[in-house]
Amino acid sequence: MAGPSHPDAMAPSRPGPTRTAPPQMPASWWSAPRIRTYLLFDATGLVYLLLGFVALEVVWALGAGPEAWDAMLASLRNPLVVAFHALGLASVIFVGVRFFSFFPKAQPPRIGPMKPPPAPVILGGLYVAWIGLTVLFAAILAGGIF
Amino acid sequence: MKHFLLKIEPVIWLLFGQGLLIGTMLLTGWILIVGLAMPLGLVPVEALSFDRAHALGASLIGRLVLAALIVLPLWKGAHHMRHLSIDFRGADRDVVVAPILYAIALAGSIAGILAVIRL
Amino acid sequence: MSETKKKFVITRFDPEKDESPRTQEYEIPVQGDWKVLDAINYIKDEVDPSVCHRWSCRMAVCGSCGMMVDGEPKLTCKTSLAEYGDTVVVEPLANFPIVRDLVVELEGFMEKFKRVKPWVVRAKEQAAEKSGGGTYAQSPEELAEFKKFSMCINCMLCYAACPVVANEGEFLGPAAIALGHRYNLDSRDEGESERNEIFRGEGTIYSCSFAHECSEVCPKNVDPAAAINQAKFSALIDWAQNLVLPKGRAGGA
Repeated sequence: MAGPSHPDAMAPSRPGPTRTAPPQMPASWWSAPRIRTYLLFDATGLVYLLLGFVALEVVWALGAGPEAWDAMLASLRNPLVVAFHALGLASVIFVGVRFFSFFPKAQPPRIGPMKPPPAPVILGGLYVAWIGLTVLFAAILAGGIF
Repeated sequence: MKHFLLKIEPVIWLLFGQGLLIGTMLLTGWILIVGLAMPLGLVPVEALSFDRAHALGASLIGRLVLAALIVLPLWKGAHHMRHLSIDFRGADRDVVVAPILYAIALAGSIAGILAVIRL
Repeated sequence: MSETKKKFVITRFDPEKDESPRTQEYEIPVQGDWKVLDAINYIKDEVDPSVCHRWSCRMAVCGSCGMMVDGEPKLTCKTSLAEYGDTVVVEPLANFPIVRDLVVELEGFMEKFKRVKPWVVRAKEQAAEKSGGGTYAQSPEELAEFKKFSMCINCMLCYAACPVVANEGEFLGPAAIALGHRYNLDSRDEGESERNEIFRGEGTIYSCSFAHECSEVCPKNVDPAAAINQAKFSALIDWAQNLVLPKGRAGGA
């Protein structure tokens, strides 16, 4: 029923008549809902890595001239690429919500003389920044400003 | 290698953290328009014409934003993929996996900075 | 008081008899207000005296009775039996070597615990005249900065819950890092640089991937995840300061 943990977890088992059994974990440990959410969070790493490389390709095409740019826009219209970006958007929102919920508690109570604002203020500030930056950036990209 | 990884961990964590923070905030608007609205025809053609896109991108703020959009998600991605590898009983292979992932992020970051300079 | 029967599937391991851990089932009458520990004590007292388990205070302050109940790390003295169905699986704390049945080997933790220097580090004792007889004044605000992290009862539920601990042998782990951070935040302490160097060394705190499981299972609301991630930031600043201005130990030579 139980599966193994890393054999050196916490301490390797000792041999002999008083030997300890190797560390173990319940069979259901890795499939618990919170752990699955956490694994999903780590898995968004692949999506972010790919998003970074797509952004690199876009900027590279922008520097290569009008024909390269138009070709880039055309390849962005590929349904698979659009589907990837839809997944990307879901990942980014999932990451943002989870990370921002943890961010306030990760601020030390004091750095030198400076204290952070109360947690709800930090959280509110993060969301204001997130939504504000998104709206601004989207407006600029879509031609609304500048 | 293990010792080297320990030495650079704080910097990697900083880049990773900014990938989470700034990267996420910038990526949302970027994906909404460049990844979804534009391909779906919801954005006027002139908005992302070469002339306008290049003018925006080549501005100082534009270059900084584009650089951040490339570099930060790469480090967040590499670091999280390393953690994912460890999550799947990968402690022993980490000494190989981590340098590969970080090298990929570094290569992408250098290429990204070059691409931004080249605009 | 209502009385029903429940089945308990308990991990058994006797190194002199067993090749590896096995399970044994016990069906016993249980009372409505029992905790899981009451059931295990009943099994030992009335059914099978060979079952071994740790327990002491019965009120969630000693940290002895941590076990996996239906796959989750719990203090069995604090966990109500009514929350569980007809069959309850009780296993020893995950990620620790098993000494016997439900008893785990804690030496691995003790070594990590000592490494973070969980005591007030000062270069020199304060002069008696200055501090009114050798005491250190600390305001309620200064206490509030670290009090939460001082509440740890070393029950080790956090180590049983942590996916990083499960996957490697070196990580310092939630309780040790939280306690080290507690001393870093203590206004009387001068050892922050030393501890930050330990934090960045073997068992590095940066192995933590903020799964937050430790804080989810902590019975004392210590919030080790908060401590570890605050410590990451502090250790980063310390690392950067060291890069620019290498400094010596607390108080110099």
